[in-house]
Amino acid sequence: MESATTKKTAKKDFRKLILEGYKNHVLEHGTAPKSVFKFAKDLKMKEEEFYAYFTSFDSIKSAVWIQIYEDTISQIESQEVFKEYSAREKFLSFLFTWIEELKKNRSFLLSIYGEGSKGMLSLPKEISDFKDKFKDFANEIILEGKETEEIATRPIISDRYDEAMWLQVWFVFKYWLDDRSPRFEKTDAAIEKSVNLAFDLMGKSALDSFLDFAKFIYQSK
Amino acid sequence: MAEKLREQQAIPVSKVQRAAKFISTGAKVGGNYVKHYAKKMVNPSMDKEELHSNNASDIYNSLSELKGSALKVAQMMSMDKNLLPRAYQDKFTMAQYSAPPLSYPLVVKTFQKHFGKTPEGIFESFTRSAINAASIGQVHQATKDGKKLAVKIQYPGVADSVSSDLKLVRPFALRLLNMNERELDHYMAEVEEKLLEETDYVLEIERSREISSECGHIPNLKFPIYYDEYSSDRIITMDWIDGKHLKEWLETNPSQKSKNQIGQALWDFYHHQVHNLKKVHADPHPGNFIVQEGDQLGIIDFGCVKVIPEDFYEGYFALIKKDLLIKEEELNQIFYNLEFISDKDTAEEQVYFKGVFKEMISLLGKPFHVDRFDFADDGFFERIFQLGDRISNDKMFKKSRQARGSRHGLYINRTYFGLYNLLNQLQAEVDTTKPEWLK
Repeated sequence: MESATTKKTAKKDFRKLILEGYKNHVLEHGTAPKSVFKFAKDLKMKEEEFYAYFTSFDSIKSAVWIQIYEDTISQIESQEVFKEYSAREKFLSFLFTWIEELKKNRSFLLSIYGEGSKGMLSLPKEISDFKDKFKDFANEIILEGKETEEIATRPIISDRYDEAMWLQVWFVFKYWLDDRSPRFEKTDAAIEKSVNLAFDLMGKSALDSFLDFAKFIYQSK
Repeated sequence: MAEKLREQQAIPVSKVQRAAKFISTGAKVGGNYVKHYAKKMVNPSMDKEELHSNNASDIYNSLSELKGSALKVAQMMSMDKNLLPRAYQDKFTMAQYSAPPLSYPLVVKTFQKHFGKTPEGIFESFTRSAINAASIGQVHQATKDGKKLAVKIQYPGVADSVSSDLKLVRPFALRLLNMNERELDHYMAEVEEKLLEETDYVLEIERSREISSECGHIPNLKFPIYYDEYSSDRIITMDWIDGKHLKEWLETNPSQKSKNQIGQALWDFYHHQVHNLKKVHADPHPGNFIVQEGDQLGIIDFGCVKVIPEDFYEGYFALIKKDLLIKEEELNQIFYNLEFISDKDTAEEQVYFKGVFKEMISLLGKPFHVDRFDFADDGFFERIFQLGDRISNDKMFKKSRQARGSRHGLYINRTYFGLYNLLNQLQAEVDTTKPEWLK
């Protein structure tokens, strides 16, 4: 029992060591380490020890994303006013805080995603864990939005809202990578405007009346 | 790939979309013209008022959604009453009061960026929604140590979008102001410079302090105190000025004496700035003035301050003297200096334009020619509008490839039109003081 707890703390430190070591390597060399073997050697550990915590470099990157996400959530939840926010405001608050957390890792993210950002057609696979976690968060917001009728329930489409919000998160990330404005003010504006658009589209609108009308015409023929 | 496409469609902030907004307005305005001429064929007596009014509301709707500098241009146009037909004016003055607000999370974020704290962490209370919209920001009310404060927060990215917004507005300005392109660009540079200055809140605080301390001795004026510790280049914190906006105040039917007192305070405020400080609060729209208990005039928002160059000042006001006793040659020189005429003009053009400008100046200088002027005289304003209409429809003007008038004149004219217009709304009669050398 006792040995289990000591092992756990040791584990945590090693994990952190690898995370930080990886980030530092990318920051200083501008590229990912050549191999796990070389990387482990630099950190003065054996290659098999490395695999006890991470299975590949991709899983380290994935852990970085998760960490950023979790820091963001704890940040916004520490704000008193967050509980009073509407769904729209919660999503806005998430994005604004998330961008701040990203900023702390900007150089790291730029050296990994900066160059190829225009060619990033499909999602890098190390992002998928973050994506899953975000979708859980998004679904909470959507559920709340539906309760308060900020978000309209529509057949089929409304099941995909979490995916739409994810696309928006990814859009904001790419916009931010290319943003050259002081204090990334343009990203702030991009978030504000895109979220407003998204929620206006998800809310009850002319679209619903149109669909309703189209259905009526189709059925009464 | 399908995902990629959807993502592309979701980009809302790009220049493309802003441009699309303007294009759709353009189409509507075009449609209004078609409608107008169609109706006119049926009913030749129909005047252009209706057309202008249709155009104005379409243009206004798109401008108010865009916010930022486009809104500012709408304001500018609404100020220059002489340049705009009546229908545009009314619609555009609305732009001075309403714009869609910033979300509260963004307000919180802006605070955290600049002070490392949330608004609640700094103030005892802070309103979640904006109380007032300013053209490039919004105002929240806060309290601290029992004092009511006004906190102005700038929309993010405004400074960056000034130049591109102005380019988007250009075709509309051309259409509306009936100017040719060269003329417009001549002024647009000045407008751009001023707009960029307006996004600099640090400069605004500095100027507010300077002008309010210099004007502190003028009776019946009130200025807010500014707080550096809660201000940055995107946030301004100042005293909350209690009272009524000019329009609201006028609805309470104040006495003529009160109206004259407010009008006189306004006149004195501008007199001191123009003639002594040579620096002027160049944004005299009704939203920047608040009437307090005891007919005191509160002045807020020093975003737009025009520094008047000495040589421009002398030339401009020399023309306002009652009897233009100056010799023809001297007058020509002044006209040259103020860029009303140039060497490129033909002799015929020179004569024509000199005539027009003399008429304009003697009309606008009217309040300066007497000791006391009654701004309630609508006939005076009617004549100004008529002259403006006549000029903007004159073939000589349309044909002219020249920009007329110094760029400095743009904001000085705007200031005086604004001032006259406020005094007219007030129906005030004031002592029109002038410096010694103009008497």
